[in-house]
Amino acid sequence: MPEATIDRTPLLRVRDLKVSFATRQGVLRAVDGLSFDVGQKEIVGIVGESGSGKSVAIYSMLGLVREKNATITGSVLFEDREILGLSDKELQPIRGGSIGMIFQDPMTALTPVYTVGWQLVEQIRQHLHLTKAAARSRAIELLGQVGIPDPKSRVDRFPHEFSGGMRQRVVIAMALSCNPRLLIADEPTTALDVTTQAQILDLMVTLQDTYDSSIVIITHDMGVIAEMANRVVVMYAGRPVEIAPELELVRHPRHPYTWGLLDAVPRLNVAHERLRTIRGNAVSPLNLPPGCAFAPRCDYVMQKCAERPPLRGENDHVDACWLSDAQKVTIRRTPEHST
Amino acid sequence: MFYFIVRRFASAILVLFAISVTVFLIFFATPGVDPAARIAGRSASPQILAQVAKEFGLNRPLPIRYLLMMEHLFIKQDLTSYVNIGDRVVPQITQAAPVTLSLVIGAAVIWLIVGVLGGVVAAANQGKFIDPFIMFIGIAAVSVPAYWLGEVMNLLTQSKFHTSIFSWVPPPGYVSFTTSPSQWFLHLLFPWLTLAALYAGIYARVLRAELVNALNEDYIRTARAKGLSERRILFRHALRCSLISIVSLFGLDFGALIGGAALLTEVVFGLPGVGLLTYTSLQNLDLPVIMGCVMYGAFFVVLANAVVDVLYAYLDPRVRLA
Amino acid sequence: MSDDVVLQATDVVKTFSSRGKKLGTRIVSRAVNGVSLEVRRGETLGIVGESGCGKSTLARCLVQLLPVTSGTVAFEGTTLTGLSRRRLRPFRRQFQLVFQDPYASLNPRRTVGDIVSEPMRINHLGSSLQIAERVRELFTTVGLDAGAINRYPHEFSGGQRQRIGIARSLSLNPTLVIADEPVSALDVSIQAQVLNLMADLQQEFNLTYVFIAHDLGVVRHVSNRVGVMYLGEFVEFGDVGSLYETPLHPYTEALLSVVPELNDTDAPRRERIIITGDVPDPADRPSGCPFHPRCPVATEFCRVEKPMLVTISPGRQVACHYPRNLAAVNATTTPA
Repeated sequence: MPEATIDRTPLLRVRDLKVSFATRQGVLRAVDGLSFDVGQKEIVGIVGESGSGKSVAIYSMLGLVREKNATITGSVLFEDREILGLSDKELQPIRGGSIGMIFQDPMTALTPVYTVGWQLVEQIRQHLHLTKAAARSRAIELLGQVGIPDPKSRVDRFPHEFSGGMRQRVVIAMALSCNPRLLIADEPTTALDVTTQAQILDLMVTLQDTYDSSIVIITHDMGVIAEMANRVVVMYAGRPVEIAPELELVRHPRHPYTWGLLDAVPRLNVAHERLRTIRGNAVSPLNLPPGCAFAPRCDYVMQKCAERPPLRGENDHVDACWLSDAQKVTIRRTPEHST
Repeated sequence: MFYFIVRRFASAILVLFAISVTVFLIFFATPGVDPAARIAGRSASPQILAQVAKEFGLNRPLPIRYLLMMEHLFIKQDLTSYVNIGDRVVPQITQAAPVTLSLVIGAAVIWLIVGVLGGVVAAANQGKFIDPFIMFIGIAAVSVPAYWLGEVMNLLTQSKFHTSIFSWVPPPGYVSFTTSPSQWFLHLLFPWLTLAALYAGIYARVLRAELVNALNEDYIRTARAKGLSERRILFRHALRCSLISIVSLFGLDFGALIGGAALLTEVVFGLPGVGLLTYTSLQNLDLPVIMGCVMYGAFFVVLANAVVDVLYAYLDPRVRLA
Repeated sequence: MSDDVVLQATDVVKTFSSRGKKLGTRIVSRAVNGVSLEVRRGETLGIVGESGCGKSTLARCLVQLLPVTSGTVAFEGTTLTGLSRRRLRPFRRQFQLVFQDPYASLNPRRTVGDIVSEPMRINHLGSSLQIAERVRELFTTVGLDAGAINRYPHEFSGGQRQRIGIARSLSLNPTLVIADEPVSALDVSIQAQVLNLMADLQQEFNLTYVFIAHDLGVVRHVSNRVGVMYLGEFVEFGDVGSLYETPLHPYTEALLSVVPELNDTDAPRRERIIITGDVPDPADRPSGCPFHPRCPVATEFCRVEKPMLVTISPGRQVACHYPRNLAAVNATTTPA
């Protein structure tokens, strides 16, 4: 994806998003101050491990966090309009209309008792003023576009009659059905096999080009990020730890957590070498340390880390770590760190 | 779908056959029991015993006896009670069946409407006052025994307020629909309410639980992300999927009630239905009638289950393949 | 590593049958369709394939959790298939299975100490004091706090639970550990910890592994030899380095080409070969080569004639009429 085609006027602007849940054990901070922009036609990847808050953050923007004990604060501007805190009714035209969503598990994302055509037509008619017949032919057209063979007869099949990959195609057709400006994909290929994953990622890139949409893709897989994203947000314990263009992040990562994440991926071209790991387990969002959340697992922890580091940097590569720029470069260059 | 229906009803017929054989064996082949003495009732004369033995072919092999029995029951329909001498069994059942059917169908309509409504309203208002309120009424309705509720109803409508607000309530008993639709309705109104109360409570609670589960499913999140209204999400997506378990529950309850489980309500309101018939024949040890009632009950239970399975397959396309 | 064979499977077939759509018909689905393999002492044999390829069914057949439909499985020279439950018992201790889901494979109502000690108690290996001592030792071995033995599974994270599962499988000092997707439910940083642990344990206890996974990177990382499964059959076998460098089967080639990689070097990427369609239903196998409907280089011959698994060069076997990268494979193996 050449950088030049990307218009940086943000389509989506997220500022200091916080989502917390009041539980019996205390306040669970799932998202703790997330800010990022998504430009026109840009693909932004949000990467993090389970519990990093990446999905909750995205769901909270569209009012899909329904828990009664949730508190959501901050600001989310979509096409210069504040959408955080809108009522269900006000969000309806945005959901599925100007923002389409793709979910992780295609096996459970579709209502089992209706045909895929019925479910597509339902959404199309919700947002566009089309007759039933017109909506149906649009549904068939969409199914063809996402690569479902013989869409004319498949449109009347039930979800369980499709394979996982085919169902994910149906979900994508649904997300795209009303020409959304923004496509949000939550681990769209995690439940799929690698050959199917390749098909789906390919399809998403092609369709993004056709529909001129921006994409936010949430994943735990650095490989998927490398394949898709223009820019990457790395999240840990509900906070962004590093934001950078994809190539820049992979080749010159600055945050120790990003280092660990990149080094822990077993490679196709390296065999039988000891993997570098991040020691310990993920921190509990119930009692985040007051300072840097990664400090308890970090090899380079200093006294200063008891204080929460801000996102700093230049040229749209920012990270939240107290190490000096020089330290980051030298540590990363030392032999045991070259991958 | 067609094969599914054929297969389902074929297996229903098989089950009915198996039940008829089992029932027959229990009544006629229990070791150490003389079936003739059982059928003839207490203190029967030797002549009657001999007549019974001849009529049921008691000296012939078991399969023949089974066939004879079935012939009496279904083909000639001349199975006769020896306790109430001369009473034909089959007409007794066909007389009692419409009463039970009227009672159960009417009650079913009420409990389905009230139960589904209660369940939906409670689930849609999770966490608000109305939800636990409906659930409390539900558990109260479930906990109150039908005979007690029936007696209270009778007490209110037949004695205490019979002269004032409930003066329009007819005395206990049954009037057939063909005789007078309005009297049929009035006679059955309070029995319906009594019988429906228990089931409405159960159904509301089950449906609420199912709906709450369904509302946490991934496909509801998809529906919401599609921009559908909350009302549409609740009715077209969550309720549609939750109804599946209500239907299977309904099949079991409906079949059992038609088969005689509405006994308590029938007794309290003096309705001469199948439950009452079974009850009196049990008291008199009237074997042919008991057997007839059991066969009749089994027929409805099995039929209701087959219908439910077909309905189930209609509601849930995944079942059709299995 | 010696060439001493620990586990040998010969032509293993496992079928499942279910009721057909039409009255009275049965559908027979061949989940494992004639698999032969050898596992040598001390090595890690990786088995890789996509969901539905029969790799988990094969694992269960290998450890006799599922009876094979035909074929034989032999452990250190003794044929296990067809042995009675009682005669199988002494062998069971020697091969253990590690499961995929660390959440579902531990009984939530038992303490983790109970879970780990259960195999020893069933086999009456020592007094309860000795067993307790051994459990503490196992906990330390797999990197868990020995003080945690009285806690319940839900008090542990996914990675810790998988360590518990591994401790349980080691409790009887097995010779062979068959791991079915042991890290696929774990986060990448935790996955690395568990993979390193498994490598250490293999060294320490001279274990032999059969490592089943869908993640090609993970399989590459842990295995000495790799078998690629498709639709219940091995389509390719080889030493890990040469198989990943020069895949022979078009399926292996496509599979490797689509693994997303980090663009952290300037090395040119492999050209991606995206195969279309889905894996066929094992109840409705294609004629000829099982891969031909999706194969980019299939010919009419592939549709008719099923290719056998043949040895191309030492350590390399493939079931394909038109193997890829033949020149490269021959170049590296032909003596100069």
